[in-house]
Amino acid sequence: MECSFALTGKDYVLVAADTTSARSIIKMKIDEDKIKTLSPHLLMAYSGEPGDTVQFAEYIERNIRLYHIRNLYPLRPQSAAAWIRRSLAESLRSRHPYSVNLLVGGFDTADQSPHLYWIDYLGTMATVPYAAHGYGSYFASSLLDRYHNPDGTLEEGLATLRRAIDETSKRLIVAPGKYMVKVVDKDGIREIEL
Amino acid sequence: MSQIWKYVRVTPSGGRVRGVPARSSTTSISLPGTPDHLSSQSTLILRFVMSIMEHNGGSVVAMAGKNCVAIACDLRLGAGAQTIATNFEKIFPVTDRMYLGLAGLASDVVTLREKFRYLTNMFLIKESRPLEPSTFAHLVSSTLYERRFGPYFCEPVLAGLERTPSGSYKPYIVGTDLIGCLNFAKDFIVTGTASDKLFGVAEGLWEPDLEPEDLFETISQTLMNAVDRDAYSGWGAVVHVITPDKVITRTLKGRMD
Amino acid sequence: MEAISHAGTVLGVLAKDGVVLAAEKKVTGKLLDLSEAKQGGYGGSGEKIFLLNSNVIGGVAGLTADGNSLINYARSAAQQHLLNYNEDIPVELLAQRLCDLKQGYTQYGGLRPFGVSLLYAGYDPHYQFQLYHSDPSGNYSGWKATCIGANNGTAQSLLKQEYKDDITVEDAIGLVVRTMSKTMDSTTLGSEKLEFAVLTLDPETKEPKAKIYRPVEVDALLVKHGLAKKDEDTEMKTA
Repeated sequence: MECSFALTGKDYVLVAADTTSARSIIKMKIDEDKIKTLSPHLLMAYSGEPGDTVQFAEYIERNIRLYHIRNLYPLRPQSAAAWIRRSLAESLRSRHPYSVNLLVGGFDTADQSPHLYWIDYLGTMATVPYAAHGYGSYFASSLLDRYHNPDGTLEEGLATLRRAIDETSKRLIVAPGKYMVKVVDKDGIREIEL
Repeated sequence: MSQIWKYVRVTPSGGRVRGVPARSSTTSISLPGTPDHLSSQSTLILRFVMSIMEHNGGSVVAMAGKNCVAIACDLRLGAGAQTIATNFEKIFPVTDRMYLGLAGLASDVVTLREKFRYLTNMFLIKESRPLEPSTFAHLVSSTLYERRFGPYFCEPVLAGLERTPSGSYKPYIVGTDLIGCLNFAKDFIVTGTASDKLFGVAEGLWEPDLEPEDLFETISQTLMNAVDRDAYSGWGAVVHVITPDKVITRTLKGRMD
Repeated sequence: MEAISHAGTVLGVLAKDGVVLAAEKKVTGKLLDLSEAKQGGYGGSGEKIFLLNSNVIGGVAGLTADGNSLINYARSAAQQHLLNYNEDIPVELLAQRLCDLKQGYTQYGGLRPFGVSLLYAGYDPHYQFQLYHSDPSGNYSGWKATCIGANNGTAQSLLKQEYKDDITVEDAIGLVVRTMSKTMDSTTLGSEKLEFAVLTLDPETKEPKAKIYRPVEVDALLVKHGLAKKDEDTEMKTA
């Protein structure tokens, strides 16, 4: 089942999501990228109802891009997250609400700080140092409580992330096999092999 | 609102109220001696049901003192029994002498906070005069009642000092239900998942004409002791004491579990 | 455009740690009720300088009624941005919002354009302190120091001579006051003829802090720069 994790460190945010695409009990694909790049310093991991996820993520992606094109600078992570949250909150009371859970991680180039937001399909938003969605969150939350270091180096952050993923793989019956990990810092976004 | 175990009628189609998240446990417990005045089409079972008002947890309390008011909230944000964040403030400044507390569905807490900020700013632009608590209370009420048949799942508490014609200030606290029915009080207002416990403790600790420091102690003890008996609230608290010339804000640590 | 060239001067100077705005009031007189102006309301000193948002001050030259309408529009646009993005509107975006509106009235017949030029003095985290000017056609541009309204040519050339790139807010205030005193028609300078505002960063919160001077503060400022009313008797008495 779908799992996503994210954590902040000194000057960076790590975002990880599994790469399986499933319909019911069938795996359709094992190399799906479920982390969108919204702007040069903004990442969004999405999970939830198949169909809703991609539709909603692309809607967000295109609107954030439009803002960037119109204004020459992108929205700051706080503002982008506030807008994304509102989109979900408005969707909740529409005829067909999107069932999408998000982790939005970004690096604010204006004040050189990392930001991470936990957002669920109800439009709930929490500003957090680390976060997880899906069944993996039951295993990862307590591990992250214990091992997370907000001033940790990238290597330290990756080690903590690996702990969370390994524990999930060990204990969760329906654990996903593969994850994609991306990092955002002052230099932008890049993928990392775990 | 705080009833967790509920009789739920289950129809073959599994009819679920749309828009309300299904927060029921996966296994349902059949009840010995189920009242069978129901048709065979549906069964009545006792289920662990969490209302949408309790989904994220959190509590707010406001108290009136002598020439001052206080308002306090806990800091937990949950998703059911799981704690997501422990830095979620539920009280927001409206003016220098008025704070608004919002307990309930966290999504609506943020939406309403942004909406009220917009409405009060527009009021200041158009009216260019200070917004008084009695005016704002009715703005809150009508904003909530606008959604009478699809409400925001939030019960606000307002605490402020109302300016009297003589130029002095008098304490003003008011709460509303989720559709905006105003409930004025001389003593205290409680809301949130620990509201029943808050009622009890506040009833015991509150007394009239408390000075700011005593009011701070009273509201802090009330909130801390109430949320310690509530699994859905806690993880520290924020207290604001509003006096005519300043607002004292303090963050408290409690049982961080 | 004609109305603007007769309107009271509005002058803005961008410094490295703030922006300064000053305006000449045209509607004056003993009988004018200034009680509203003294209180300030949402943030405005009455005629020409207004708070558009917590991070932007606007200065208006032109038809006052058109100006009020645009101020109202700007404030609503800023609040709408705050609602959507939970941040103060970036200064250039606010200028764009107004220019989109103004441009609309140049494109279709039957309606009269807004007879207003504006200065926007603001701060945002993208470009820090900024100063913009927009005219009735919907054109806008960014400036280090500029002036609109009557005698703007003289003021511009004075500013061009005296402006330095790393000017501080304190020096900018002096520059603005001096330039205003030279460009204004009247020989006497006082709070009944002058509006004044400064935008800086709060040293503690690092948030933009807009200060629109009250009449007494304007007078105090003029005294400080030795440009108060040339009334010998009072000067002797205070000294």
